[in-house]
Amino acid sequence: MAEAAQGPESFLPLTPAVFHILLALADGEKHGYAIMQEVEGMTEGKVQMGPGTLYGSIKRMLAAGLIEESDDRPDPTLDDERRRYYRLAALGRKVLRQETERMAELMALARRKHVWSGVG
Amino acid sequence: MRESRWAPASIDFSVRIYTWLLAAYPGRFRAEYGPQMAQVFRDVCRRESLHGGLPGMAALWARTSLDLVRTSVEEHIERGIDMNREKFVRWSGWALMAGAVLFAAGMIIGSFDSNWSDPIGGVDAFYEISQIVGIVLGQILFVIGLLGLRVGYASRSGSLGGALVLIAVIGGVVSLGGMLIMNSSELGWTAWALGLLTMTLALTVYGVVAIRRRVFSRWNFAPLLAGVVIPVLFGVSAGIDSSGGTLGDWAFALGVSATAVGLILLGYRMQAEAASTSQALA
Repeated sequence: MAEAAQGPESFLPLTPAVFHILLALADGEKHGYAIMQEVEGMTEGKVQMGPGTLYGSIKRMLAAGLIEESDDRPDPTLDDERRRYYRLAALGRKVLRQETERMAELMALARRKHVWSGVG
Repeated sequence: MRESRWAPASIDFSVRIYTWLLAAYPGRFRAEYGPQMAQVFRDVCRRESLHGGLPGMAALWARTSLDLVRTSVEEHIERGIDMNREKFVRWSGWALMAGAVLFAAGMIIGSFDSNWSDPIGGVDAFYEISQIVGIVLGQILFVIGLLGLRVGYASRSGSLGGALVLIAVIGGVVSLGGMLIMNSSELGWTAWALGLLTMTLALTVYGVVAIRRRVFSRWNFAPLLAGVVIPVLFGVSAGIDSSGGTLGDWAFALGVSATAVGLILLGYRMQAEAASTSQALA
């Protein structure tokens, strides 16, 4: 895919929605509602994405090669087989790592400037 | 339980309204993601109905309405930008192909002009007018084609590739300007030649970038072929002139034809791949 020719750094900084979706998928594939729940859980309810934000971001992330749709369908007795599952692509994992490193550098800078103590 | 009697009905009603409101999104987006969005909304409705009751459902509707308005506008804007970009890249691909044919025809027909310094008219009028019309129109179409290359492929080409295409566009504009003032100023020839040389050299180096980064799905050699021949012809011609000879007409025609083939291949790829250039991570 042509977009995959872009380096991970060209995607930075990520929008909050894209960053949270990548983070939600870091530990395995999930469907839309599971991503939404994971994001709400991770942020203690501070980030609540609506279906439009979720699927608008998913559309762009699929086009950019950050995530991919999983071909595996769960056992229909365990879950609704019509749901689409998404997982991190290799590029998405690299982008997530670089964005996290970028944020860590910013936090280190804030600590050096005594803007942030590093706790809480 | 009291809630279990009204909750399913309110969920169904909410989902039905939400599904109806999905009409606000562009058709393609709705067809691709509408059922998934309705499914997610149904899941959230169930949760809010169970844990938040009526206030929870009201809050969900408030959030969802804002989300729907904001993202449907975003999707329409994005679709408009993508459509315009796709159309521009497609048409600029055709412009590049047409420009290549006109440029090559103008250069080759013009080479039959027996006297380069006589005023336009007389027995050579057909060759002279064909040359001017072909090259001027060709240059205009080159600039449009290269702008399309820049718009559609800048992100795939990296910062160096994007800068090289921009230099090629500037070279094309300078060359066109030189062509237009050629009759009134001696600088016109110099500007035309320097502009053409800049454009083709930039395209040559961009060709290397395209091959390395696999910018196009096929024919990544096309920009290199389109760019490399003119600078070589300039160099060889200057070398032959300094030793008192002249470049053969066949070598000139071959070189110009090779350039045109490169540009046609590049233009063809651009119009064929236009749809895939309209992607961005907002």
